[in-house]
Amino acid sequence: MHAETLLDIAMMHSDALVERAKQGDQNAQGKLVQLWYKRIYNFGFKFFHDHDLAMEATQKTFISMCKNIASLQDSGRFKSWVYTIAVNYCREETRKMKVSRSLSFDKVWNPEAESSPKWDSASHRHQNPEKQFQQGELSEILQEALAALNEDQREVVIMKEYEGLKFREISEVLNISENTVKSRMYYGLDTLRKILEKKNITKETIHYEL
Amino acid sequence: MSYKPNEGAMMAYLYGELEGSEKGKFEQYLLTSAEARMELEKLKGLRSVLSHVQDKEVIAPPIFIDSNTSKRNSFFQSTTFKTIIGIAASLLLLMMVGKMTDTRVQFSGNEFTMSFGEVRTQPEERVVEVPTGLTANEVQAMINNSLADNNQVVQTSLDESQKKLNESIRMNLVANSKKVDENLKQASLASQEQIQQYVSSLQTGNMEVMKDYFKMTSNDQKQYIEDLLVDFAKYLQQQRNDDLMFMQARLNNLEQNTDVFKQETEQILSSIITNANVKQTTRN
Repeated sequence: MHAETLLDIAMMHSDALVERAKQGDQNAQGKLVQLWYKRIYNFGFKFFHDHDLAMEATQKTFISMCKNIASLQDSGRFKSWVYTIAVNYCREETRKMKVSRSLSFDKVWNPEAESSPKWDSASHRHQNPEKQFQQGELSEILQEALAALNEDQREVVIMKEYEGLKFREISEVLNISENTVKSRMYYGLDTLRKILEKKNITKETIHYEL
Repeated sequence: MSYKPNEGAMMAYLYGELEGSEKGKFEQYLLTSAEARMELEKLKGLRSVLSHVQDKEVIAPPIFIDSNTSKRNSFFQSTTFKTIIGIAASLLLLMMVGKMTDTRVQFSGNEFTMSFGEVRTQPEERVVEVPTGLTANEVQAMINNSLADNNQVVQTSLDESQKKLNESIRMNLVANSKKVDENLKQASLASQEQIQQYVSSLQTGNMEVMKDYFKMTSNDQKQYIEDLLVDFAKYLQQQRNDDLMFMQARLNNLEQNTDVFKQETEQILSSIITNANVKQTTRN
Protein backbone atom coordinates (compact mmCIF):
# COMPACT_ATOMS: atom_id res chain seq x y z
CA MET A 1 0.00 0.00 0.00
CA HIS A 2 2.84 2.38 0.63
CA ALA A 3 3.62 4.24 -2.46
CA GLU A 4 7.25 5.16 -2.61
CA THR A 5 6.85 8.82 -2.06
CA LEU A 6 9.68 11.22 -1.58
CA LEU A 7 8.79 11.29 2.06
CA ASP A 8 9.13 7.54 2.37
CA ILE A 9 12.46 7.57 0.63
CA ALA A 10 13.67 10.31 2.87
CA MET A 11 12.56 8.30 5.87
CA MET A 12 14.41 5.27 4.69
CA HIS A 13 17.63 7.20 4.36
CA SER A 14 17.49 9.30 7.45
CA ASP A 15 20.47 7.75 9.18
CA ALA A 16 22.68 10.76 8.52
CA LEU A 17 19.92 13.01 9.80
CA VAL A 18 19.58 10.92 12.94
CA GLU A 19 23.31 11.11 13.44
CA ARG A 20 23.27 14.90 13.23
CA ALA A 21 20.24 15.13 15.50
CA LYS A 22 22.14 13.07 18.03
CA GLN A 23 24.91 15.66 17.99
CA GLY A 24 22.31 18.23 19.05
CA ASP A 25 21.63 19.72 15.63
CA GLN A 26 18.24 21.35 16.12
CA ASN A 27 17.73 21.68 12.42
CA ALA A 28 18.15 17.94 11.95
CA GLN A 29 15.82 17.27 14.84
CA GLY A 30 13.23 19.51 13.26
CA LYS A 31 13.55 17.68 10.00
CA LEU A 32 13.15 14.34 11.72
CA VAL A 33 9.98 15.60 13.31
CA GLN A 34 8.68 16.75 9.94
CA LEU A 35 9.57 13.38 8.39
CA TRP A 36 8.02 11.20 11.02
CA TYR A 37 5.15 13.30 12.24
CA LYS A 38 2.60 11.94 9.81
CA ARG A 39 3.52 8.31 10.45
CA ILE A 40 3.41 8.64 14.21
CA TYR A 41 0.19 10.62 14.09
CA ASN A 42 -1.46 7.98 11.92
CA PHE A 43 -0.21 5.27 14.20
CA GLY A 44 -1.79 7.16 17.10
CA PHE A 45 -4.96 7.81 15.17
CA LYS A 46 -5.43 4.15 14.32
CA PHE A 47 -4.63 3.23 17.88
CA PHE A 48 -7.13 5.64 19.47
CA HIS A 49 -9.42 6.33 16.56
CA ASP A 50 -9.48 9.85 17.99
CA HIS A 51 -7.77 12.92 16.60
CA ASP A 52 -7.14 14.74 19.87
CA LEU A 53 -5.64 11.79 21.66
CA ALA A 54 -3.51 10.99 18.62
CA MET A 55 -2.24 14.58 18.49
CA GLU A 56 -1.49 14.52 22.19
CA ALA A 57 0.46 11.30 21.98
CA THR A 58 2.27 12.39 18.82
CA GLN A 59 3.41 15.68 20.26
CA LYS A 60 4.58 14.04 23.44
CA THR A 61 6.41 11.47 21.39
CA PHE A 62 8.34 14.05 19.44
CA ILE A 63 9.10 16.21 22.44
CA SER A 64 10.49 13.13 24.12
CA MET A 65 12.33 12.17 20.94
CA CYS A 66 14.09 15.54 20.74
CA LYS A 67 15.00 15.43 24.39
CA ASN A 68 16.37 11.92 24.40
CA ILE A 69 17.77 11.38 20.94
CA ALA A 70 21.30 11.91 22.28
CA SER A 71 20.90 8.74 24.32
CA LEU A 72 20.03 6.66 21.22
CA GLN A 73 23.02 4.43 20.66
CA ASP A 74 22.40 2.80 17.30
CA SER A 75 21.19 5.16 14.60
CA GLY A 76 19.92 2.18 12.60
CA ARG A 77 17.41 1.44 15.28
CA PHE A 78 15.89 4.92 15.20
CA LYS A 79 12.65 3.65 13.70
CA SER A 80 11.90 1.09 16.38
CA TRP A 81 13.07 3.56 19.00
CA VAL A 82 10.57 6.20 17.85
CA TYR A 83 7.77 3.65 17.80
CA THR A 84 8.72 2.51 21.28
CA ILE A 85 8.22 6.03 22.54
CA ALA A 86 4.98 6.36 20.60
CA VAL A 87 3.60 3.08 21.95
CA ASN A 88 4.47 4.11 25.48
CA TYR A 89 2.68 7.43 25.15
CA CYS A 90 -0.32 5.77 23.52
CA ARG A 91 -0.54 3.34 26.43
CA GLU A 92 -0.20 6.21 28.87
CA GLU A 93 -3.02 8.12 27.21
CA THR A 94 -5.20 5.02 27.34
CA ARG A 95 -4.52 4.67 31.04
CA LYS A 96 -5.38 8.32 31.63
CA MET A 97 -8.57 7.91 29.67
CA LYS A 98 -9.57 4.93 31.79
CA VAL A 99 -8.77 6.75 35.01
CA SER A 100 -10.65 9.88 34.11
CA ARG A 101 -13.64 7.80 32.99
CA SER A 102 -14.84 10.68 30.91
CA LEU A 103 -16.52 10.23 27.59
CA SER A 104 -15.11 11.97 24.61
CA PHE A 105 -17.48 14.51 23.17
CA ASP A 106 -17.26 12.78 19.82
CA LYS A 107 -18.56 9.61 21.40
CA VAL A 108 -21.51 11.23 23.09
CA TRP A 109 -22.47 13.22 20.06
CA ASN A 110 -22.51 10.89 17.13
CA PRO A 111 -21.09 12.92 14.27
CA GLU A 112 -22.17 10.43 11.65
CA ALA A 113 -25.80 10.91 12.56
CA GLU A 114 -25.60 14.65 12.13
CA SER A 115 -22.90 15.66 9.78
CA SER A 116 -23.07 15.48 6.06
CA PRO A 117 -20.75 13.16 4.14
CA LYS A 118 -17.18 14.02 4.66
CA TRP A 119 -16.58 16.15 1.64
CA ASP A 120 -13.76 17.96 3.31
CA SER A 121 -11.77 14.77 3.57
CA ALA A 122 -11.85 14.46 -0.21
CA SER A 123 -8.48 16.00 -0.76
CA HIS A 124 -8.11 14.57 -4.23
CA ARG A 125 -10.86 16.41 -5.99
CA HIS A 126 -10.08 15.01 -9.37
CA GLN A 127 -11.14 11.57 -8.17
CA ASN A 128 -14.65 10.35 -8.35
CA PRO A 129 -16.44 11.90 -5.37
CA GLU A 130 -18.62 8.87 -4.84
CA LYS A 131 -15.64 6.62 -4.75
CA GLN A 132 -13.96 9.05 -2.44
CA PHE A 133 -16.93 8.94 -0.13
CA GLN A 134 -17.12 5.17 -0.17
CA GLN A 135 -13.42 5.02 0.42
CA GLY A 136 -13.84 7.28 3.41
CA GLU A 137 -16.71 5.23 4.71
CA LEU A 138 -14.81 1.98 4.35
CA SER A 139 -11.84 3.54 6.04
CA GLU A 140 -14.09 4.50 8.92
CA ILE A 141 -15.46 0.97 9.23
CA LEU A 142 -11.99 -0.50 9.19
CA GLN A 143 -10.88 1.93 11.86
CA GLU A 144 -13.76 0.84 14.04
CA ALA A 145 -12.84 -2.78 13.50
CA LEU A 146 -9.27 -1.98 14.54
CA ALA A 147 -10.52 -0.24 17.63
CA ALA A 148 -12.39 -3.42 18.57
CA LEU A 149 -9.12 -5.36 18.89
CA ASN A 150 -7.47 -5.58 22.25
CA GLU A 151 -4.57 -3.29 22.85
CA ASP A 152 -1.76 -5.82 22.36
CA GLN A 153 -3.09 -7.05 19.05
CA ARG A 154 -3.95 -3.58 17.87
CA GLU A 155 -0.41 -2.31 18.38
CA VAL A 156 1.05 -5.22 16.45
CA VAL A 157 -1.46 -5.05 13.59
CA ILE A 158 -1.01 -1.32 13.10
CA MET A 159 2.78 -1.49 13.20
CA LYS A 160 2.91 -4.45 10.86
CA GLU A 161 0.12 -3.70 8.44
CA TYR A 162 0.24 0.07 8.26
CA GLU A 163 3.63 1.15 9.50
CA GLY A 164 5.47 -1.62 7.70
CA LEU A 165 7.76 -2.59 10.55
CA LYS A 166 9.44 -5.94 10.39
CA PHE A 167 8.51 -8.55 12.99
CA ARG A 168 12.00 -8.15 14.42
CA GLU A 169 11.51 -4.43 14.81
CA ILE A 170 8.13 -4.86 16.43
CA SER A 171 9.62 -7.30 18.91
CA GLU A 172 12.21 -4.65 19.74
CA VAL A 173 9.59 -1.97 20.14
CA LEU A 174 7.38 -4.03 22.42
CA ASN A 175 10.28 -5.85 24.04
CA ILE A 176 8.70 -9.26 23.43
CA SER A 177 9.77 -12.26 21.38
CA GLU A 178 9.24 -12.36 17.66
CA ASN A 179 7.04 -15.42 18.03
CA THR A 180 4.75 -13.58 20.39
CA VAL A 181 4.54 -10.77 17.88
CA LYS A 182 3.58 -13.16 15.10
CA SER A 183 1.06 -14.89 17.30
CA ARG A 184 -0.56 -11.59 18.25
CA MET A 185 -0.56 -10.62 14.60
CA TYR A 186 -2.24 -13.83 13.65
CA TYR A 187 -4.96 -13.57 16.23
CA GLY A 188 -5.40 -9.92 15.50
CA LEU A 189 -5.96 -10.60 11.84
CA ASP A 190 -8.27 -13.45 12.72
CA THR A 191 -10.40 -11.22 14.90
CA LEU A 192 -10.46 -8.53 12.26
CA ARG A 193 -11.57 -11.00 9.65
CA LYS A 194 -14.43 -12.18 11.82
CA ILE A 195 -15.55 -8.64 12.55
CA LEU A 196 -15.44 -7.67 8.90
CA GLU A 197 -17.23 -10.82 7.78
CA LYS A 198 -20.01 -9.96 10.17
CA LYS A 199 -20.31 -6.64 8.37
CA ASN A 200 -20.11 -8.49 5.06
CA ILE A 201 -16.94 -6.74 4.01
CA THR A 202 -14.57 -8.96 2.09
CA LYS A 203 -12.18 -8.46 -0.75
CA GLU A 204 -14.89 -9.41 -3.22
CA THR A 205 -17.66 -7.17 -1.91
CA ILE A 206 -15.35 -4.21 -1.82
CA HIS A 207 -14.19 -4.65 -5.35
CA TYR A 208 -17.73 -5.11 -6.46
CA GLU A 209 -18.76 -1.93 -4.81
CA LEU A 210 -15.82 0.01 -6.04
CA MET B 1 3.51 -34.18 6.27
CA SER B 2 6.35 -33.98 8.71
CA TYR B 3 6.41 -30.17 8.45
CA LYS B 4 3.51 -28.35 10.01
CA PRO B 5 4.05 -24.61 9.99
CA ASN B 6 2.78 -22.62 12.93
CA GLU B 7 0.94 -19.30 12.85
CA GLY B 8 4.23 -17.48 13.04
CA ALA B 9 5.48 -18.96 9.82
CA MET B 10 2.21 -18.14 8.17
CA MET B 11 2.50 -14.54 9.26
CA ALA B 12 6.10 -14.31 8.19
CA TYR B 13 5.25 -15.73 4.77
CA LEU B 14 2.25 -13.45 4.44
CA TYR B 15 4.45 -10.42 4.97
CA GLY B 16 7.32 -11.77 2.92
CA GLU B 17 9.69 -12.19 5.80
CA LEU B 18 10.23 -15.91 5.48
CA GLU B 19 13.60 -16.64 3.98
CA GLY B 20 15.75 -19.40 2.66
CA SER B 21 14.92 -22.98 3.51
CA GLU B 22 12.02 -21.96 5.71
CA LYS B 23 10.35 -20.29 2.77
CA GLY B 24 10.92 -23.31 0.57
CA LYS B 25 9.50 -25.63 3.17
CA PHE B 26 6.45 -23.46 3.62
CA GLU B 27 5.79 -23.29 -0.12
CA GLN B 28 6.10 -27.06 -0.31
CA TYR B 29 3.61 -27.36 2.47
CA LEU B 30 1.23 -25.01 0.70
CA LEU B 31 1.25 -27.23 -2.35
CA THR B 32 0.15 -30.17 -0.27
CA SER B 33 -2.33 -28.46 1.98
CA ALA B 34 -5.43 -26.92 0.44
CA GLU B 35 -6.48 -25.78 3.88
CA ALA B 36 -3.34 -23.72 4.27
CA ARG B 37 -3.80 -22.25 0.82
CA MET B 38 -7.35 -21.24 1.72
CA GLU B 39 -6.15 -19.66 4.90
CA LEU B 40 -3.46 -17.74 3.10
CA GLU B 41 -5.93 -16.49 0.51
CA LYS B 42 -8.27 -15.30 3.20
CA LEU B 43 -5.47 -13.47 4.91
CA LYS B 44 -4.36 -11.87 1.67
CA GLY B 45 -7.95 -10.80 1.05
CA LEU B 46 -8.10 -9.32 4.49
CA ARG B 47 -4.87 -7.44 3.90
CA SER B 48 -6.22 -5.95 0.71
CA VAL B 49 -9.33 -4.86 2.59
CA LEU B 50 -7.27 -3.40 5.38
CA SER B 51 -5.17 -1.47 2.92
CA HIS B 52 -8.17 0.76 2.28
CA VAL B 53 -7.62 2.62 5.48
CA GLN B 54 -6.48 6.06 4.48
CA ASP B 55 -3.71 7.87 6.15
CA LYS B 56 -4.83 11.09 7.62
CA GLU B 57 -2.99 14.11 6.39
CA VAL B 58 -1.51 16.04 9.23
CA ILE B 59 0.81 18.97 9.33
CA ALA B 60 3.54 18.70 11.86
CA PRO B 61 3.40 21.65 14.21
CA PRO B 62 6.73 23.33 14.63
CA ILE B 63 8.50 21.65 17.48
CA PHE B 64 11.74 23.38 18.34
CA ILE B 65 12.49 21.67 21.54
CA ASP B 66 15.87 20.36 22.37
CA SER B 67 16.98 19.32 25.78
CA ASN B 68 18.95 22.48 26.46
CA THR B 69 16.32 25.04 25.61
CA SER B 70 13.57 23.15 27.29
CA LYS B 71 15.58 22.90 30.45
CA ARG B 72 16.50 26.55 30.28
CA ASN B 73 12.93 27.56 29.61
CA SER B 74 11.56 25.54 32.45
CA PHE B 75 14.25 26.93 34.70
CA PHE B 76 13.51 30.49 33.69
CA GLN B 77 9.82 29.95 34.22
CA SER B 78 10.15 28.19 37.54
CA THR B 79 9.00 30.04 40.63
CA THR B 80 12.35 29.39 42.31
CA PHE B 81 14.12 31.27 39.58
CA LYS B 82 11.64 34.13 39.76
CA THR B 83 11.99 34.36 43.52
CA ILE B 84 15.78 34.38 43.28
CA ILE B 85 15.72 37.02 40.58
CA GLY B 86 13.33 39.07 42.69
CA ILE B 87 15.56 38.90 45.72
CA ALA B 88 18.63 39.65 43.64
CA ALA B 89 16.94 42.65 42.06
CA SER B 90 15.90 44.08 45.40
CA LEU B 91 19.41 43.52 46.80
CA LEU B 92 20.84 45.25 43.77
CA LEU B 93 18.46 48.14 44.29
CA LEU B 94 19.48 48.38 47.95
CA MET B 95 23.13 48.34 46.95
CA MET B 96 22.54 51.05 44.34
CA VAL B 97 20.77 53.26 46.86
CA GLY B 98 23.54 52.54 49.33
CA LYS B 99 26.15 53.50 46.78
CA MET B 100 24.36 56.69 45.84
CA THR B 101 23.77 57.83 49.40
CA ASP B 102 27.24 56.63 50.42
CA THR B 103 25.90 54.45 53.17
CA ARG B 104 28.37 52.74 55.47
CA VAL B 105 27.39 50.00 57.81
CA GLN B 106 29.97 48.76 60.26
CA PHE B 107 29.89 46.19 62.96
CA SER B 108 33.04 46.17 65.02
CA GLY B 109 33.24 44.76 68.50
CA ASN B 110 29.91 45.51 70.08
CA GLU B 111 29.38 48.60 68.01
CA PHE B 112 27.02 48.74 65.08
CA THR B 113 27.39 51.88 63.02
CA MET B 114 25.37 52.99 60.06
CA SER B 115 26.25 56.26 58.45
CA PHE B 116 25.61 58.26 55.35
CA GLY B 117 28.49 60.09 53.77
CA GLU B 118 31.98 60.37 55.24
CA VAL B 119 32.67 58.43 58.37
CA ARG B 120 33.61 60.80 61.16
CA THR B 121 36.82 60.08 62.89
CA GLN B 122 35.49 61.00 66.29
CA PRO B 123 34.01 57.65 67.20
CA GLU B 124 37.25 55.99 66.33
CA GLU B 125 39.25 58.36 68.58
CA ARG B 126 36.93 57.65 71.44
CA VAL B 127 37.41 54.02 70.84
CA VAL B 128 41.14 54.57 71.00
CA GLU B 129 40.95 56.59 74.19
CA VAL B 130 39.03 54.11 76.16
CA PRO B 131 41.70 51.54 76.73
CA THR B 132 44.39 53.91 78.20
CA GLY B 133 45.27 51.71 81.12
CA LEU B 134 42.61 52.55 83.65
CA THR B 135 41.89 49.64 85.88
CA ALA B 136 38.49 48.96 87.26
CA ASN B 137 39.63 49.87 90.75
CA GLU B 138 40.97 53.22 89.63
CA VAL B 139 37.78 53.98 87.86
CA GLN B 140 35.90 52.93 90.95
CA ALA B 141 38.11 55.16 93.10
CA MET B 142 37.64 58.07 90.74
CA ILE B 143 33.94 57.57 90.78
CA ASN B 144 33.97 57.37 94.55
CA ASN B 145 36.08 60.53 94.85
CA SER B 146 33.93 62.52 92.56
CA LEU B 147 30.88 61.22 94.33
CA ALA B 148 32.31 62.22 97.73
CA ASP B 149 33.24 65.69 96.43
CA ASN B 150 29.89 66.08 94.93
CA ASN B 151 28.22 64.99 98.14
CA GLN B 152 30.26 67.48 100.18
CA VAL B 153 29.45 70.37 97.93
CA VAL B 154 25.86 69.48 97.90
CA GLN B 155 25.86 69.10 101.69
CA THR B 156 27.48 72.51 102.31
CA SER B 157 25.21 74.30 99.93
CA LEU B 158 22.29 72.56 101.50
CA ASP B 159 23.37 73.62 104.99
CA GLU B 160 23.86 77.20 103.94
CA SER B 161 20.59 77.52 102.27
CA GLN B 162 18.97 75.83 105.25
CA LYS B 163 20.45 78.41 107.63
CA LYS B 164 19.45 81.32 105.43
CA LEU B 165 16.02 80.02 105.16
CA ASN B 166 15.65 79.55 108.88
CA GLU B 167 16.88 83.08 109.61
CA SER B 168 14.64 84.72 107.16
CA ILE B 169 11.68 82.77 108.44
CA ARG B 170 12.44 83.78 112.03
CA MET B 171 12.83 87.47 111.15
CA ASN B 172 9.68 87.50 109.18
CA LEU B 173 7.83 85.83 111.97
CA VAL B 174 8.99 88.35 114.58
CA ALA B 175 8.20 91.34 112.41
CA ASN B 176 4.83 90.06 111.46
CA SER B 177 3.81 89.15 114.98
CA LYS B 178 4.68 92.65 116.26
CA LYS B 179 2.61 94.33 113.63
CA VAL B 180 -0.29 92.07 114.27
CA ASP B 181 -0.13 92.76 118.03
CA GLU B 182 -0.21 96.54 117.51
CA ASN B 183 -3.05 96.38 115.14
CA LEU B 184 -4.96 94.22 117.52
CA LYS B 185 -4.43 96.62 120.46
CA GLN B 186 -5.50 99.67 118.47
CA ALA B 187 -8.50 97.93 117.25
CA SER B 188 -9.62 96.82 120.72
CA LEU B 189 -9.14 100.31 122.22
CA ALA B 190 -10.84 102.28 119.54
CA SER B 191 -13.80 100.24 118.78
CA GLN B 192 -16.32 101.02 121.62
CA GLU B 193 -16.29 104.82 121.45
CA GLN B 194 -16.15 104.92 117.71
CA ILE B 195 -19.22 102.80 117.42
CA GLN B 196 -21.18 104.92 119.82
CA GLN B 197 -20.13 108.07 117.99
CA TYR B 198 -20.98 106.55 114.73
CA VAL B 199 -24.39 105.40 115.85
CA SER B 200 -25.29 108.81 117.38
CA SER B 201 -24.14 110.64 114.32
CA LEU B 202 -26.27 108.36 112.27
CA GLN B 203 -29.28 109.03 114.53
CA THR B 204 -28.94 112.82 114.34
CA GLY B 205 -28.44 112.67 110.62
CA ASN B 206 -31.57 110.66 110.26
CA MET B 207 -33.57 113.03 112.47
CA GLU B 208 -32.51 116.06 110.47
CA VAL B 209 -33.42 114.43 107.28
CA MET B 210 -36.81 113.51 108.64
CA LYS B 211 -37.41 117.08 109.95
CA ASP B 212 -36.50 118.62 106.66
CA TYR B 213 -38.72 116.23 104.90
CA PHE B 214 -41.73 116.95 107.11
CA LYS B 215 -41.20 120.71 106.87
CA MET B 216 -40.99 120.57 103.19
CA THR B 217 -44.05 118.46 102.83
CA SER B 218 -46.21 120.62 105.19
CA ASN B 219 -45.23 123.78 103.34
CA ASP B 220 -46.07 122.23 100.10
CA GLN B 221 -49.41 121.10 101.38
CA LYS B 222 -50.32 124.58 102.76
CA GLN B 223 -49.38 126.21 99.53
CA TYR B 224 -51.36 123.71 97.57
CA ILE B 225 -54.50 124.09 99.68
CA GLU B 226 -54.26 127.90 99.56
CA ASP B 227 -53.99 127.80 95.84
CA LEU B 228 -56.87 125.50 95.69
CA LEU B 229 -59.07 127.76 97.83
CA VAL B 230 -58.16 130.85 95.84
CA ASP B 231 -58.93 129.13 92.63
CA PHE B 232 -62.25 127.96 93.90
CA ALA B 233 -63.22 131.47 95.06
CA LYS B 234 -62.26 132.86 91.73
CA TYR B 235 -64.32 130.33 90.02
CA LEU B 236 -67.40 131.07 92.14
CA GLN B 237 -67.04 134.83 91.51
CA GLN B 238 -66.85 134.27 87.80
CA GLN B 239 -69.86 132.07 87.86
CA ARG B 240 -71.95 134.76 89.72
CA ASN B 241 -70.88 137.43 87.28
CA ASP B 242 -71.88 135.29 84.36
CA ASP B 243 -75.24 134.54 85.88
CA LEU B 244 -75.89 138.21 86.53
CA MET B 245 -74.94 139.11 83.00
CA PHE B 246 -77.27 136.49 81.72
CA MET B 247 -80.17 137.75 83.87
CA GLN B 248 -79.53 141.30 82.68
CA ALA B 249 -79.64 140.23 79.07
CA ARG B 250 -82.89 138.28 79.57
CA LEU B 251 -84.53 141.24 81.29
CA ASN B 252 -83.52 143.62 78.48
CA ASN B 253 -84.87 141.21 75.97
CA LEU B 254 -88.20 140.96 77.84
CA GLU B 255 -88.45 144.80 78.05
CA GLN B 256 -87.92 145.15 74.32
CA ASN B 257 -90.56 142.53 73.57
CA THR B 258 -93.19 144.36 75.71
CA ASP B 259 -92.37 147.63 73.98
CA VAL B 260 -92.89 146.07 70.58
CA PHE B 261 -96.14 144.51 71.74
CA LYS B 262 -97.39 147.92 73.04
CA GLN B 263 -96.65 149.61 69.71
CA GLU B 264 -98.40 146.87 67.77
CA THR B 265 -101.53 147.01 69.87
CA GLU B 266 -101.61 150.82 69.54
CA GLN B 267 -101.35 150.50 65.75
CA ILE B 268 -104.07 147.88 65.66
CA LEU B 269 -106.32 149.99 67.85
CA SER B 270 -105.79 153.11 65.75
CA SER B 271 -106.50 151.17 62.54
CA ILE B 272 -109.76 149.77 63.99
CA ILE B 273 -110.88 153.22 65.04
CA THR B 274 -110.23 154.70 61.62
CA ASN B 275 -112.06 151.85 59.99
CA ALA B 276 -115.18 152.49 62.16
CA ASN B 277 -115.17 156.21 61.29
CA VAL B 278 -115.03 155.49 57.53
CA LYS B 279 -118.00 153.13 57.74
CA GLN B 280 -120.17 155.71 59.57
CA THR B 281 -119.50 158.36 56.99
CA THR B 282 -120.31 156.14 54.03
CA ARG B 283 -123.72 155.22 55.66
CA ASN B 284 -124.42 158.66 56.00
